[in-house]
Amino acid sequence: MSGKLPVREEETGEVDFSKTTRLLLELKDTSELMVDLAYSALLYDNEDIADEIFSLEEVADDLEKDVQLSAMEDLKEHKDVKKGFVLIRLATAMEKIADAAVTIADVVLRDIERNPVVCLSLRDSKVRITTVTVESGSILARRSIGENKIASKSGMWIIAIRKDRKYYYGPDENTMISEGDLLLARGPKEGESILREMARKKRR
Amino acid sequence: MKNLVVKDKSHLRHRSKVKHEEIEYEPRSVREILTEMKDISELITDLAYSALVLDSREIAEEVRELEARMDRLNYQIRLTALIASRSMEDAESLTGILTVASAAENISNAAGDIVDLIDEEIDTRPFLPFILRDADEKFNVARISPESELAGKTIADSKIGTRTGAIVIAVNRRSGWIFDPSKDFRLRGNDLLIVRGTQDGYNNLQRLSKHAGQFTEKAGGSR
Repeated sequence: MSGKLPVREEETGEVDFSKTTRLLLELKDTSELMVDLAYSALLYDNEDIADEIFSLEEVADDLEKDVQLSAMEDLKEHKDVKKGFVLIRLATAMEKIADAAVTIADVVLRDIERNPVVCLSLRDSKVRITTVTVESGSILARRSIGENKIASKSGMWIIAIRKDRKYYYGPDENTMISEGDLLLARGPKEGESILREMARKKRR
Repeated sequence: MKNLVVKDKSHLRHRSKVKHEEIEYEPRSVREILTEMKDISELITDLAYSALVLDSREIAEEVRELEARMDRLNYQIRLTALIASRSMEDAESLTGILTVASAAENISNAAGDIVDLIDEEIDTRPFLPFILRDADEKFNVARISPESELAGKTIADSKIGTRTGAIVIAVNRRSGWIFDPSKDFRLRGNDLLIVRGTQDGYNNLQRLSKHAGQFTEKAGGSR
């Protein structure tokens, strides 16, 4: 890694753009999670998920502001205006994506009866959204998402997990899966059946 | 739009969007249009980020074309919905659909904003590949070796999606770019794949795209 590249670890002592880039990354992941959740909320007409998008919107707003502030802070040291400009513009675009997710969530929260065409359209889409229940004794249970290598084995990306009655949004690779969990996932059509198979397959 | 081989358009550096283009009414269902808009909204952000990471004006140009297509689709879905609406109930439920369509269009506008940054000099954004490779889902490139078992197979037959979790968002070959290839798209040796997925899945893809035990050029090599 050349000296120009920002450093990831704080331990190296270099400030560079590490804080700003970290914030930007978090904003990117948040905005993408919001879009996935928005289409899921729409598909299942689920107000819990729609509510979560509104909470995440506040997170995204804060992150956008933090990226802007942090990029300006960086200017004190680096005087690299263009770099700051690019970071701020990216943050703005990501926030715009987050706003689009909120617009969709808003449709879900309105009490209008949902048009069945929405569901049909979403089901025809290349990227599908699905839910899978982890059966008792499944190979997925008592292991984390990372240990199960769900994404690289099935192509499915877990966007939320419902444990008992509570949703956990945007789980990461360390999130543990338990029996009875409901996985909300998106990915290719073929991946859906593989994930379903994994959730059913008993550990020997 | 699917599987069109895009000729070199690097001369088209600026927005190809025609401002006051006449949009003809195409008899398509709301359902079809909405599906296409959702698919584009997901593809276009991936393409936008990869345009910056790979510093590719061709990918940026495709993003702009998709953005322009989204404008047209958003117009068409409105027309179609208005024609279909016969009652207050129709109007209410179609309003929801139109709002979702607009949101999808806004996403594509944001993608357009992202690729506008490609006009900034490359050395003002050396940190971008770093940023995007560190996200949850990473963008990567893989070159298919002619000896690879993937060469000659369609994307469906290769089972890339389910064996590696990687989603192929674009393919570059001598004749040009193919964006969002369909399942029936046949891979060839020397194709450069742009994929999105986990690092772990990417490592698997790297293995598949090379002949066992043989070293090929580093992915993302010069072109």
